[in-house]
Amino acid sequence: MRIRFLAQTVLATLLSALAAQAQTVTVMGSTALGPILKKAAEEYMKANPGVQIAVSGGGSMTGLNQVVSGGCHIGISDVFATPDQEKAGLKNHNIVVQPFTLIAHPGAGVKTLSAQQAEQVFTGKIGNWKDVGGRDQKIVRVIRPESSGTRAVQKKEILHGQEFTKDVLIQDSTGAVVTAVATTPGAVSFVELEHLEKNRARVAGIAYNGVECSNEAVKSGKYPVFSYGHAYTNPAKLTDPKVKQAVEAFLAFVLSPAFQQTSVLKAGYLPVDYVKSLKTQL
Amino acid sequence: MNQPSDSILGDPLSIAVLPASTQVKPGPSDFRLSRLHRLADRWSHLLFLGCSLLVVALIAGILVFLSSKGLAAFLPLSGNTGRTLGFSEVFLSADWAPSNDHYGILPFIGGSLTVTGLALLLAAPTGILTGVFIAKLAPSWMRTLMRQVMDLLVGIPSVVYGIFGLTVMLPVISRTWLKDAPASGFAVSAMILAVMIVPTIVSLSTDAFESLPQNLDEGAQALGASRWQAIASVLIPAAGPRLITAAVLGLGRAIGEAMAVQMVIGNNPQWIALMRESTDRAPFLRALFTPAATLTTELVQELPNTPAGSTWNNVLFAMGLMLYLLTMLLILATRRLGRGAEA
Repeated sequence: MRIRFLAQTVLATLLSALAAQAQTVTVMGSTALGPILKKAAEEYMKANPGVQIAVSGGGSMTGLNQVVSGGCHIGISDVFATPDQEKAGLKNHNIVVQPFTLIAHPGAGVKTLSAQQAEQVFTGKIGNWKDVGGRDQKIVRVIRPESSGTRAVQKKEILHGQEFTKDVLIQDSTGAVVTAVATTPGAVSFVELEHLEKNRARVAGIAYNGVECSNEAVKSGKYPVFSYGHAYTNPAKLTDPKVKQAVEAFLAFVLSPAFQQTSVLKAGYLPVDYVKSLKTQL
Repeated sequence: MNQPSDSILGDPLSIAVLPASTQVKPGPSDFRLSRLHRLADRWSHLLFLGCSLLVVALIAGILVFLSSKGLAAFLPLSGNTGRTLGFSEVFLSADWAPSNDHYGILPFIGGSLTVTGLALLLAAPTGILTGVFIAKLAPSWMRTLMRQVMDLLVGIPSVVYGIFGLTVMLPVISRTWLKDAPASGFAVSAMILAVMIVPTIVSLSTDAFESLPQNLDEGAQALGASRWQAIASVLIPAAGPRLITAAVLGLGRAIGEAMAVQMVIGNNPQWIALMRESTDRAPFLRALFTPAATLTTELVQELPNTPAGSTWNNVLFAMGLMLYLLTMLLILATRRLGRGAEA
């Protein structure tokens, strides 16, 4: 018994000594970007056994807050850092492109909205589907909470910076938004393309200015509504050159064509290169 | 009832043997043993004390943390990147638009009070009458069954109620009652909350009725009261304070519930303005089915996504502090009422 205990202790000490030798890079933030970063971490660690990449969630703001304070090495976020956070000297890396699409309850009877119609639906100027060529049915706008990254994208791209109407339903997550749209007659919302792909049986996609959202449409520049997934680093806190090197190498891997052309596409995002020429800043 | 304690005290062996052995051999080993026992007693006493102090420290720690974050909204503290607010623009304003620098939390306070009030209105009578039924009217097999069902209901995670509300209740009510208009709002949230707190109220009021002396019931019936008269005019008044305690505990559970409410209430911080401005339905329907928000739903949605130290984040913590104090107040009220019941 005692010998076994001793053996275990020795083993544990050895292991922890080994672990201390390995470089650990911590990634924290957006739960939407989490899976793709986890996949990257898996592949990267397989190729580089000396490095540990730990990916955890917490939300975009948590990721940004943590990378500012040095609580993690890479903060992943769906939104740009706030001006305050920028002041800390954060460095932005756009790692993926995320297309967004309008969706509606299948009974609305509308297949496309012009940019102006889409804007007026959400600012409240248009309140009935019959005004945009659909059934006589009240429009129910389902949106995300004020602090959500999706809502920020929607406000900028669809509402062109104007305020949403007061007459809205708010759901906390994209999953809940899709469920609400699927079960509420007359509902309309705005989600990432992958969520429409997964729920085609329950909700209908709405084309924007006559263009249906698809990877190809974004790639060709015909479909303008998308955002970037961001990875922020804080050079001021990366004082250890070994850690700094590991962080940079990992980000380079995430941005490498090998990863972007396979895993990023598979996860429902688009490679950053596709649209690099179109927009530099969302 | 007290059979197990009887068997320990009344076991002839344990009484006879233990003193005999100590009397026959008062040797040094026994002395050491008893010292060991005393030491063990001492240490376990310290352990228990430590545990309970830890709990108290935790509660106090949470209060200190919430206060430091929440009061930062009103005081110019260090680490505060946001603006310092006045009390009136937070507590007396219904305008909540953090991106435009408006932080009125009245809609959330109003929402929390309305939805819990409605839930209690539905749950208290149902729960108390069920309690009467279980304690006084049900056959014994049914009593056991009902008790078990109630315990089971308490254990269901709130998100399950929320999913049920979102995918079943909202569509059904909107189709059958509202001509396809969305049903999110106070009505469905209160119904779901009521279902969630009924078990608490039932088991506490069952206990209340069962603890009443049997002769109250018998006396009333001997005087010619019918079953219903005995219940309505003797049993319920006699159990009164404990029933109020049950209701207040249910209220405490309802006011803190976030997940289930968040899924069905519609989470619209502008609900007061919306309710006043919209004219497309009757006032009664508008009040029940306008998407609204509560303290807990707003916290669960926004707190994780706001930058620490910003005005927005600080106000959210102030809301959390308020919720904490409100729950504390409710607990104190229950204790007060409970003491009243004993006297």
